[in-house]
Amino acid sequence: MEHLDELIAAHALHALDAQDERRVDAHLAECERCRAQLREMQAVSAAIALSAPAAEPPAELRDRVMASIGPAVVSTVRDDEQPAGRRWAWWPRFSAVAVPVLAVAVVGLVIWNVSLRHDQGPHAITAVTTVGNVGNLVAYQGGDATLVGNLRPAPANHTYEAWVIPHGQSVPIAAGTFAGGNGISFTLTKHAAPGDTIVITLEPGHGGPTPRGPAVAKAVLPA
Amino acid sequence: MTDRTPRRDPITEHLSDHGLLALVARGDRDAFARLYDLYAAPAYSLALRVVRDRDLAADVVQEAFLAIWNQASKFDSSRGQPSTWILTVTHHKAVDTVRREERRRADAMDEVRETPDSSAPVEDQAWQGVAREQVRAAMAKLPDPHREVLELAYFAGYTQSQLAERLAVPIGTVKSRTFAAMSSLRELLAASGMHPEQEWNTSTS
Repeated sequence: MEHLDELIAAHALHALDAQDERRVDAHLAECERCRAQLREMQAVSAAIALSAPAAEPPAELRDRVMASIGPAVVSTVRDDEQPAGRRWAWWPRFSAVAVPVLAVAVVGLVIWNVSLRHDQGPHAITAVTTVGNVGNLVAYQGGDATLVGNLRPAPANHTYEAWVIPHGQSVPIAAGTFAGGNGISFTLTKHAAPGDTIVITLEPGHGGPTPRGPAVAKAVLPA
Repeated sequence: MTDRTPRRDPITEHLSDHGLLALVARGDRDAFARLYDLYAAPAYSLALRVVRDRDLAADVVQEAFLAIWNQASKFDSSRGQPSTWILTVTHHKAVDTVRREERRRADAMDEVRETPDSSAPVEDQAWQGVAREQVRAAMAKLPDPHREVLELAYFAGYTQSQLAERLAVPIGTVKSRTFAAMSSLRELLAASGMHPEQEWNTSTS
């Protein structure tokens, strides 16, 4: 009777014969201890990968890979548009309702210019970060972040929701909903610290504890 | 927004691999591009070592990163590091390619010895070069029969039964030797301060 540990080591090397692989996969589906063992063995295999001679991927491979995941959605606001009566031409060309939960090729993130301004005055502002062309994120001492700016009003039966992803973590934490429009001044309901990422998504209904809709903007609070 | 050229994106630079992958799961192209910039070179190096053909290696890397893009939402961060996952997917596709194309050289044993890389010296991310030397040093400490089964399995794509045939030993021997080699390697890596289950992306402090 062979031990499954032996097969798990070979599994991590992708060296199992087909019927052994089926056996192991069936067992792994029901055995957390062996799944953990596989994870450890896979980490060793990944280390073996690093022993391969260094080779540089062709420069055009990057373009190919980026093209293979779908076209970039053009989603930047034009700078010369005035807030009042603006045409929302930058809105990503998809139906927000039809986008699946984790939209693969369709989500466009609006940002990017990150500008830093440290206000040394007696007032509470500690950092200003542009959230793309959506507006600015102003962080007050004490960790309350407020979004000021303009955002296309959310369609019917949708709402914007803000999220904080603490530095070094990956799970977004719900930080409040708002409707959008001109002259937003929305304070996130969750504290945000320097280095944290702020994401704004368009959620169906009233939003919820986990993001389901596409992201429309994000920014990192500068340190 | 063009994502054609690698650039230092101040936002994604702050994120750990797990953070990047979480954003990839939400369709973030910048985060995905950052993961590519971090791991395309080791992935391509691995693929090339396995498939021995630059065009096929590029195909392998493209398929692997596309799979990462499509399956990022299913990645469970408690399952380990994104870097391990990326290289595991790459290796799987590389081995599938070898088996499909039947391009394994007859004398794969010679290939596993270090041959001078005929291409120009490569701009290497510092951590990658250090890691390479650490892993090579650890593997050099394995008994020859152990290192042999690892290299034939991992880089030449031999299955356990094919190895038994090639080495003219019982398959049980191959299995126990493989297990012993992997266990020893894990200990040797840990002894040299390398813990593969921890993150390699050293851009985050």
